Amino acid sequence: MKSCYQWKQVLAVCVVVLFGLHDTARAEVQLPDGTVIKTVDFEKHIVGLFGRSGCNLGSCHGSFQGKNGFRLSLFGYEAEKDGVSVSREMNGRRIDLNNPDNSLLLLKAMGLTEHAGGRKFSAGSWQHKLIKDWIVQGAPLTTGSGEIKSLDVTPKEIPFNKPGEKINLKVMVSFADGTSENITALSEFRTLDDGVAEVSSSGLVTSNRAGDTSIIVAYRGTVFPVRAMVPLDVKPGYKYPSVPEVNYIDKLVFSKLKRLNIEPSGLSGDAEFLRRITIDVIGTLPSPNDIRTFVADKDTNKRTKKIDELLKHPMHAALWATKLSDITGNNTDAIENPQNLRVKKSQMWHDWLRKRVAENMTYDKIVEGVLCATSRDGESPEDYVVKVNKLDEELTKGFVESYSEKPTLDLFWRKQGAVTLDQWGEKTAAAFMGVRLECAQCHKHPFDRWTQADYRSYANVFTQLAYGASPEAKKVIDAENAERKKNATGTNNNNISVVKEVYLTSVVAGKGGAKGLTHPETNLPLVPKALGGPEIKMEAGVDARRKLFEWLKTPDNPYFARSFVNRVWGHYFGVGIVDPLDDFSIANPPSNPALLDALAKDFIDSGFDIRKLEKTILLSRVYNLTYVPNETNQFDDNNFSHCFIRPMMAEVVVDVLCAATGMVENFGAEAPKNARAIEVGASRVNSSISYAFRIFGRPPRTAACDCERSMEPALPQKLYLMADTNLQIKVESQGNMIKKILAENSDDQKALEEMFLSTLSRLPNDREKKHFEEYRTKSADRKTAFVDTLWALLNTKEFIFNH
Amino acid sequence: MAANFASDCEGFNRRNFLRIGAGAGLLGLSLPEILKLEAQSAAKRNGVQSSKKADSIIMVWLAGGPATIDMWDLKPDAPEGIRGEFKPINTSAAGIQISEHLPKMAKVADKTTIVRSIYHSIPSHGPATVFMTTGNKPTPALQYPSMGSLVSKLAKGEEGVPSYVSFSDIRGGTAGSSGYLGTAYNPFLVEGNAGGDGKGKATLKVRGIQLPTDFTLEELNNRDKLLAGFDSTFREVDKKADLIQGFDAFHQQALDILRSDKTRKAFDLTQEKPETRARYGADNFGQSALAARRLVESGVRFVTISIGGWDTHSKTFESHSKKLQPTLDNTLSALISDLSDRGMLDRTMVYCAGEFGRTPKVNKNVGRDHWARSMAVVLAGGGFKRGYAHGTTDGQGMAAATDPCLPDDVSSTIFANLGIDPKTELNSSTGRPIQLFREGTVVDKLLA
Repeated sequence: MKSCYQWKQVLAVCVVVLFGLHDTARAEVQLPDGTVIKTVDFEKHIVGLFGRSGCNLGSCHGSFQGKNGFRLSLFGYEAEKDGVSVSREMNGRRIDLNNPDNSLLLLKAMGLTEHAGGRKFSAGSWQHKLIKDWIVQGAPLTTGSGEIKSLDVTPKEIPFNKPGEKINLKVMVSFADGTSENITALSEFRTLDDGVAEVSSSGLVTSNRAGDTSIIVAYRGTVFPVRAMVPLDVKPGYKYPSVPEVNYIDKLVFSKLKRLNIEPSGLSGDAEFLRRITIDVIGTLPSPNDIRTFVADKDTNKRTKKIDELLKHPMHAALWATKLSDITGNNTDAIENPQNLRVKKSQMWHDWLRKRVAENMTYDKIVEGVLCATSRDGESPEDYVVKVNKLDEELTKGFVESYSEKPTLDLFWRKQGAVTLDQWGEKTAAAFMGVRLECAQCHKHPFDRWTQADYRSYANVFTQLAYGASPEAKKVIDAENAERKKNATGTNNNNISVVKEVYLTSVVAGKGGAKGLTHPETNLPLVPKALGGPEIKMEAGVDARRKLFEWLKTPDNPYFARSFVNRVWGHYFGVGIVDPLDDFSIANPPSNPALLDALAKDFIDSGFDIRKLEKTILLSRVYNLTYVPNETNQFDDNNFSHCFIRPMMAEVVVDVLCAATGMVENFGAEAPKNARAIEVGASRVNSSISYAFRIFGRPPRTAACDCERSMEPALPQKLYLMADTNLQIKVESQGNMIKKILAENSDDQKALEEMFLSTLSRLPNDREKKHFEEYRTKSADRKTAFVDTLWALLNTKEFIFNH
Repeated sequence: MAANFASDCEGFNRRNFLRIGAGAGLLGLSLPEILKLEAQSAAKRNGVQSSKKADSIIMVWLAGGPATIDMWDLKPDAPEGIRGEFKPINTSAAGIQISEHLPKMAKVADKTTIVRSIYHSIPSHGPATVFMTTGNKPTPALQYPSMGSLVSKLAKGEEGVPSYVSFSDIRGGTAGSSGYLGTAYNPFLVEGNAGGDGKGKATLKVRGIQLPTDFTLEELNNRDKLLAGFDSTFREVDKKADLIQGFDAFHQQALDILRSDKTRKAFDLTQEKPETRARYGADNFGQSALAARRLVESGVRFVTISIGGWDTHSKTFESHSKKLQPTLDNTLSALISDLSDRGMLDRTMVYCAGEFGRTPKVNKNVGRDHWARSMAVVLAGGGFKRGYAHGTTDGQGMAAATDPCLPDDVSSTIFANLGIDPKTELNSSTGRPIQLFREGTVVDKLLA
């Protein structure tokens, strides 16, 4: 091993001699783009090079364990520590001041000695010169020399004229020491959609096809997104058609499409529109009669009327209670003991949300009820115990609806397992700001602004929160619980229902309070702080969560309204303006910022009126476009030039399959009788249908975000539709819709029409009619032919995707 | 989906992964091949692949938490009230003794590895089950995938055969599932009856990959022809939308799977000699174990079979001596010796465990309560050292005394045997890179 190492050293020296670099003289370093660096600085240049070369990625030396004993800070956000790792560890062997080219750092990076990461650059390259010049200087470290003030990339928006063009990005950095430099060569570049535009490691962007995407530029953990717009190449004299606009949504979507030379599709037909909106708004299919009536209606205002009707439908509230159950983390298995009541409490949670959506309570009020929840809502301990007793009594009999009357959703905070401060921070940031914070638990968020200190300061907002019995209620609650334990039968303590409450302690974090998280470096207390917002002063008797809430709902809050309008938009288009929906970060910019801003402003101006927001979206021409693409927009998947074909939520899949077969699903004891899937509160059910829930992506809701709901198609889904007993029973049942259709329609073609209407919400075309006719003649009997037809229709893509 | 991409701490573009998946599907690659591509790219990012010593795992799950102090790690010298009622007996492995109610296991002990020093700290069924089946200590912030789901993502599968099959939904599906990997990696579940008497016709089938009993292949083919005539609506968009193309690829794969008789044949237990069926045990558990062996033969990579009743808070010795241990003894020994006789044990691992051990101290109801600080598990086959007992517990069986190891370590070692680097990183649904087993290290002493 040692001899091998020595041999490599000899080789290294030979190579270096060959390139004439064995001297120890200082030299300017010229970067590939012509920029000259007079004096190489560790933080500014070497750490930048580590990032560009991929040395400090999590999979390499940026990992917490480091790699092969050498650890760098992830993405170089702790340059000072990197300096120590490079120059002081390993007895200084990484740096050889006497013979710079013999430094392990260079030998490894140039692949001249064993390096699992391979050769990052070659001898004689500018990278080699850069590191060498720093070593020749004596490998100086000046703490803070590379502190970044701002990053600027030009151009900020790339004005391509058509596919096939190339443009170089230039990255300038201003340092805190007042200097600024062109550090393009030391930056990293990546594209969000290489189909539209790709970018080389040196920052050369190439447009591939019409559309737009972002190029993300990063220099030592500071991120800068650049928009790349690639218009479709058009013939000279091309004139963009004039497109009617209903409201500001159309104006903003179409004006962007115009810049891209992408034409929106035409309006959807009435049947297409009705199917889409019925699935989107109430999670089921329109009936054949609904379709016939709607299509025949001559009223020019009929779509508006239908929108109003559906938004008021009880199932619309149920659907959003399900979505809000995901967002607030209504995970049955995490709810407090006793275990036998968890399912019912999940339903109470769902009901609480559903009631508010049905009443069109404004979004800020709903969030207030969740975020600032306590168990007693100011009631006396005695009254509270009476109330809990009554609730528990009712719960032994069945599902209870009265919890919906409670002003606040304390179930959000009533978890069986201990939930740490940082988990509350992560959950609330994801739920109410659409921000994924978890990276910042262990290191600065690599593609966003959040530091570990931000993360912990935010978590400290929740230090007052307690679950048990408050000092003022302790006596009353303890007495009640003693009584309950005395009367309990059985030995398992987990099944004894005890009275507990979510309340606020008088502990003040950051002032010697033992509970708060401390600064990751200094270990000093951290003052609670809203994420990206003001410090939150802790005062005994004042709910810090309320202060957080007050900050959230201020009109200039960058996240609160935006994250929710994006969720609503994402629901109705299948793609968010920010997508994934809960990934608001610098490196994931909105595809149409003006649209997101306008929707948020409108939402705030309306006083957070959810139904008004939905109506505005549903009325827009953009929502009313057909899914059928044209020549110009066929590849568009983020600019809403046509309706995007999209999967349905797992619950909606189940409900739609029931609607199409005329059957009712049985969810077992975990749901109220005759509930539809979107009315089920529990995150798990025990019946056979739980399989369908799982494979179509119903989330277990362990995290409070949309990210757990998987909407991607998967092989088991196709197998379920083709062969699962749970569905085949519905298809072949004597009691399903086939019997009714055949009884009411003696004519085969009429029956076929009815079956098409009740599954695909349209009439069969001539080719399909003929295809059926041929099949019918070969079938054993009429019933078999129609059972097979129902199976086939349920297995079409047209059926299983909303469009 | 558009821009379905998550920035991650790795600087790794999740869309690339999806591209590989969707794109490859279009070129007619099978799902296993797609998975292989993913696995390779994962392995590439994580350095050298460790050497592969086994292809498959059969996990024998003892639901409820077995009193392993009365099974694999007896304490005859401990005071009364701890040592229990059973006597230790010698086994075919020199120096290793196990319970007198496991005589058949004693005969095959030269083929097994008993880990006596495994422990953790969660004496609660739900989270302990998650810990043991995922190899990761549960956290509320992230759902870890079960080992079976990891195998189905990372190991090369067999065409027309699912990679991960489970005979029961462990804890109502809260364990054993795919966690952050997404729904595609959940286990395929077995339904039906194994033919409990060991003679009758088993009606077992894997849910979702076999046609219902009265649905013939001919009917499927007919219906599929009818479907072809109704499924052209999206023709104009077919070529452009990943979603549509992906679903078409799945349609073809689904047909291949439904038409394949590999899995169906695996469940046809009448193909086995009556003696073999009898040897495994004339109950559902025994017949499931036999079916598990047949599934592994047909190419399934991870099979979970399960038997409950181990939560013996009262009358533990009665349950163990009359039912639990004899049943397990029969089936587990039959499985191990059958695998060995067929030359399959070298490439198949058996992992027999429950969620935790039980209190060394016997309670007032002659039961033992939950105890996670000490427990034992049994491994066999693959690259594991045979006839070996790893680690010890203290004189009263309270805690590991030598070579303590955690569920993460055992899981890591199992994956090392599968040739999957346990330090491989996968992306969570938010794009966060997660090491397969957060804290596990390979236990070299367990390896042959």
